[in-house]
Amino acid sequence: MKQFFFLGWIVVCGILAVPISGPAQTTLEKIDKSGVLVIGTRTGSPPFAYVNKNNEWVGFCIDLVEKGILPVLHQKLNKNIKVEKKESAPQTRIPLLTSNAVDLIAETMTDTQSRREQVDFSLTYFATGAQFLVKKGSPIKNIQTIAGKRVAAQQGSTNAKLIRERVPSAKLLEFPDQPAAFQALAQGQVQAYTNDGIQLAGLRAKAPRPDDYAVVGEFFSYEPYGMAMRKNDSDFRQAVNVGLMNAISSGLYFEIYDKWFGAKGEVPYPMTAEIKRFLQMQVVPK
Amino acid sequence: MDFRVVFQNFSFLMLQGFVGFGGFAGGTLRLALPAIALGFVLGTAIGLARLARARWLSLAAGVYVEFFRGVPLVMVIFWFWFIIPALLGTSLPEYMVALTAFVVFEAAYLAEIVRSGIQAVPRGQVEAATATGLKRAQMMRHVVLPQALRHMIPALVTQFIVLLKDTSLASIIGYVDLTKAAQIVNNREIRPFELYLFIAVIYWLCSYGMSRYARYWEHRLTPSHS
Amino acid sequence: MNYRFDWSVLWSGQTGALLLQGIETTLELSLIGWLIAVVLGVVSGALRTLPIPPLRWLAAGYVEFFRNVPLLVWMFVWYFAVPPLLPQAFQDFLLDHGVEFWAGVFALGVYHGARFAEVIRSGISAIPRTQFEAAASTGLTIAQTYRLVILPVALRLIVPPATNETLALLKNSSIALTIGVAELTFQVRQIETYTAKAFEALVAGTIIYLILCLAISALSAQIERRVAIPGMITKRTMGEA
Repeated sequence: MKQFFFLGWIVVCGILAVPISGPAQTTLEKIDKSGVLVIGTRTGSPPFAYVNKNNEWVGFCIDLVEKGILPVLHQKLNKNIKVEKKESAPQTRIPLLTSNAVDLIAETMTDTQSRREQVDFSLTYFATGAQFLVKKGSPIKNIQTIAGKRVAAQQGSTNAKLIRERVPSAKLLEFPDQPAAFQALAQGQVQAYTNDGIQLAGLRAKAPRPDDYAVVGEFFSYEPYGMAMRKNDSDFRQAVNVGLMNAISSGLYFEIYDKWFGAKGEVPYPMTAEIKRFLQMQVVPK
Repeated sequence: MDFRVVFQNFSFLMLQGFVGFGGFAGGTLRLALPAIALGFVLGTAIGLARLARARWLSLAAGVYVEFFRGVPLVMVIFWFWFIIPALLGTSLPEYMVALTAFVVFEAAYLAEIVRSGIQAVPRGQVEAATATGLKRAQMMRHVVLPQALRHMIPALVTQFIVLLKDTSLASIIGYVDLTKAAQIVNNREIRPFELYLFIAVIYWLCSYGMSRYARYWEHRLTPSHS
Repeated sequence: MNYRFDWSVLWSGQTGALLLQGIETTLELSLIGWLIAVVLGVVSGALRTLPIPPLRWLAAGYVEFFRNVPLLVWMFVWYFAVPPLLPQAFQDFLLDHGVEFWAGVFALGVYHGARFAEVIRSGISAIPRTQFEAAASTGLTIAQTYRLVILPVALRLIVPPATNETLALLKNSSIALTIGVAELTFQVRQIETYTAKAFEALVAGTIIYLILCLAISALSAQIERRVAIPGMITKRTMGEA
């Protein structure tokens, strides 16, 4: 038995030695070779990225990539590029990126300084803050009133970290993904679910009985969303940023926003003048 | 309890989740069938290697089997999910990742089934074959393996049932099999009882059905003459 | 390849603590699940061999019902579908005391109980009928027969396949991560999240599982040697170390 284990260890080391070699490739080269842009996105975060009633995978982020960023790639690489979607979640998105399984994380990922140590972010394409989703009539009104209560959050999210730091007395339950956390709230297993306000609005709008829920509390954090990509990949980052900037300056961004968040959209969530200005000011002159 | 959610999403659950036709590259059967076929091929190779006379070969095969039988399938799936794209420098559809993980993992178990099937062939057969001048490889191919196969079939069918149930773990990396399809619908409609009960019934029908088939083979193959 | 190896993440920061917590939870989950499985398995395995049809069918029903559905699906059922059916006070108690852990334990225990039942059944059927007849002729009731004559022997016969099932249970405990149980594989993912070092985390997790499995196999080999019944042919299952 022992020699098996020892030999097994050698085999494992051998397998590990292989990745050390191998050519480094920029993302643009990779996309050029394969003709595919692989994005990591969600399946349960309406309306950013989710599976709708017709079981189609759609969303605000997906539209931004397909309509805003893809044309820039077409132009740069002079060929038709397809988009392939893979499911990502807070605890898997960075590993998926660094292992080359996806090229771009296009979901509700908050741009933070510590995350910038591992990945690069595009410019901020939306800004919101953390709030709570509760059942209507719940005594929980904001972050001050969650002490001692059971609160759900997504494993690996910024919200989970904040609750743990700021309200250690709250019983934080981390779930593998958003729908699991929401279900826990729906079934009463937790008393509140914390996530970014706009996502909570989306969940509520898509819930079987939206009026049973309420989004409460002032923003207790600042959550700027950016699209994440591998570090030290400036050409690809340039392409992504140019795509987003073009979309904002041409008005395409606001059309897409209106489609999903407008008055007749999936999740009505009017854009404040402040955020609109912020987005427009990120567009640097050509 | 409201089973309408099952009826409304029936084609998504069964065609996309169970079989594999649809916009998402998925499917329980689409994963299980190639996995058992390829796993059997690899498993036979490793099973034979374990019985090889060359010590290094049988040792290496032994390490392979003991290694994969000592780690959870979930771990193996995660390994391939991260290692393959990192090694190849490119991304792969979940299907390829899941298929590779399953083939490599199941081969370890199938190797044991093959090995014991071969070892169950009476020594007299081997001796007779050698006496008629057959080389070792020929003997394997024409005498031992055909007989070994008869011993193996019930265990193989059982392993296929295990594999069919194991494919549900592919849902963890986002592969849209029956379990993941149910999760996708549940995430939207929040009806876990109806949906998970439905897929439990589907898995149960397949699994129980196949195990009766295995028992049929076991009866047929228990030779009345030995 | 852009991946930079950094093995120090395994012992710096929180990682060591996370791994230890994961191991602890995995062992707790597996041990309690194993106890449930053994009890259910012995009872239903024995019931399946009784000459009383209704009890046989009951046990057979339990076995066929649970073992033909994937464990992952059972995890979801026990976690999402069962708690809402319980009385509210019990629900609240569970929610404050790790409902996902208990859902995982029961999913694991009841599923593997069905599998253990088959192993026990094969052990009992390996005992010659003469034993049953002799016991009956000395005036023992069925219950006494099983308790004093049959089960002690059957349990010794089935040590190899029972070990297989125990190892399977330990490995299957990793499936509980899907309902949020912070066992070892879950913690490996946590480490990946906080350090982005997927390789290192996976290697650590894999090695720990290998060690745990080897320990159980070694322990079982010891047990097998000590409880072997001289003169009774123990069934060697396929390729057991």
